[in-house]
Amino acid sequence: MLVLGIDTSGYANAVGVTDGEKVLADLTFPAKTDSLEQIVANIDDALKCAGLTLEDIGGIGVGLGPGSWTGIRVGVTVGKVLAFSTGKPLAGIPTLEVLAYQAIVEASLVCAVIPTGAGDAVYAACYQLQAGVVGRVGDYFIGSVKDLTGMIKEPVVLAGDTGASYMQTLRDGIIKAGIAVTNITAVPGGAAVARLASERLERGERADVLGLEPLYLKESTARAFVNRYAAKTKGWGGS
Amino acid sequence: MGWVLEMLILGIETSCDETSAALVADGKTVLSSTVAAQLDLLRKYGGVVPEIAARRHTELIGYVIKEALDSAVKTLEDVEAVAVTARQGLIGCLLVGVAAAKSISYARHVPLVGVHHIEGHIFANILSHPEIPLPHVCLTVSGGHTMLLYVREGCRYQLLGTTLDDAAGEAFDKIAKFLGLDFPGGPVIDRLAKQGDREAYHFPRPMIKSRAPDFSFSGLKTSVINAFKERVARGEALPLADIAASFQEAVVEVLVAKTMRAAEAKGVNAVSVTGGVSANSRLREAFREAALRQGVDVYFPNLSLCTDNAAMIAAAGYARMMLGEVSDLRLNVVPTAPLEV
Repeated sequence: MLVLGIDTSGYANAVGVTDGEKVLADLTFPAKTDSLEQIVANIDDALKCAGLTLEDIGGIGVGLGPGSWTGIRVGVTVGKVLAFSTGKPLAGIPTLEVLAYQAIVEASLVCAVIPTGAGDAVYAACYQLQAGVVGRVGDYFIGSVKDLTGMIKEPVVLAGDTGASYMQTLRDGIIKAGIAVTNITAVPGGAAVARLASERLERGERADVLGLEPLYLKESTARAFVNRYAAKTKGWGGS
Repeated sequence: MGWVLEMLILGIETSCDETSAALVADGKTVLSSTVAAQLDLLRKYGGVVPEIAARRHTELIGYVIKEALDSAVKTLEDVEAVAVTARQGLIGCLLVGVAAAKSISYARHVPLVGVHHIEGHIFANILSHPEIPLPHVCLTVSGGHTMLLYVREGCRYQLLGTTLDDAAGEAFDKIAKFLGLDFPGGPVIDRLAKQGDREAYHFPRPMIKSRAPDFSFSGLKTSVINAFKERVARGEALPLADIAASFQEAVVEVLVAKTMRAAEAKGVNAVSVTGGVSANSRLREAFREAALRQGVDVYFPNLSLCTDNAAMIAAAGYARMMLGEVSDLRLNVVPTAPLEV
């Protein structure tokens, strides 16, 4: 199935097209507040790059964030309205999962991290390959890098903007606790969204077209998560 | 206009706190107009919180478009063009409407036109009264805007005056809040004022004598608040109907005087009063009296077209397309945009 994937949660508009396992296009376009709405033109460019039209596409995938909410709202709106307008099936993919997918290596535990933009607070989640599919381990996390460091209890791959200072602080903290860390730089890619959407659509999982919304992770989720794990001796990947 | 281009336009409007879609045929027949007001959120937060409004637009936009199509008994296959508010409004909110509009334009291969929000309000009245002559003077008065414009043929506008501080509708909201009344303030003050004495208190009429056609309402607002704040602080019961009537009268008097003066200066026979505040019953009454005295015609939009809606955007979009103006997929959102002259 030919799938179009987009993600507008980061510094760039990401657009990709895949055909089964094959990547036909994987483009990023610089985007700030004054060019977020260029995503539709970007989609047209990416499809043309792959020698396709929207009519050729069999399914649409859209990154749900977290990240820049203004951007995510534009992407989610485009995804759902394109799906509504064409009658094609839609899948929403959490952006943390997109990052993890791009960094996943066989048996490793991947921790994808996205900054909240507020102090050193980050969004994070852990993923692992489970029967060939990328699956989330544990709940979403929102909190300080320090708290996140305390959650990591086994060798981990960090996926995200590894050059950023909060990522370096995280890495240093984990190493200091005697745990092995690998850094893999990843930004949300359109082809990754398309691949993840492809897998869901093939399994028959479709998003409610009109009802699709960004993945707004709330502060309360973080507190519950920290409380739950405070009582356990193991962190992620062990419970 | 001697001839009509038959075209079914889907209008989309998300510039502030109302998510709206509408189907308008040939620039003049409203087949449907769906507006989802964020009243529960406005009441909860006492006003528009841009981030929250933008979230709500994303939530509602698909449903609102579908509802507009369903109630007009049309499908996207019938839509021949899309008009969307792209200029003047809250940026996070405008982006949602433009994203949706571009998606439809692209998927359905139909033209797209970006519209200025205020031009939409001007067209709300033309949509309601196709016989409004050109040129005319238009007062657009709402929670976000108070503008006096000279409207000419071919979508050409001259800005005559604007508010230097609060919009008139904003003043209504702030006074209503001060008096412990519901949000938005306009409708509740309008209702209360009917039982009150508009001459009970004489509040200032800001800039009423000034030759400049600009407006100012924050001084009036401060004056009302200062007159009663101690009593409010003491928890005293206030003569709300009289205060509402007297405050409203001050706003109305200024709006009418300056608009009629501008109409005379421009030598027009017609005055258009549009925007959310144009629904106010006392404003309509006062304008009708003044228009009669001055020998001009005054027009108000149908009540459902006074507040923000997508039908007016579709109508404005049609007019622009008739002039050969079309946007493309690179259409930019501009939160603060002058209306082209």
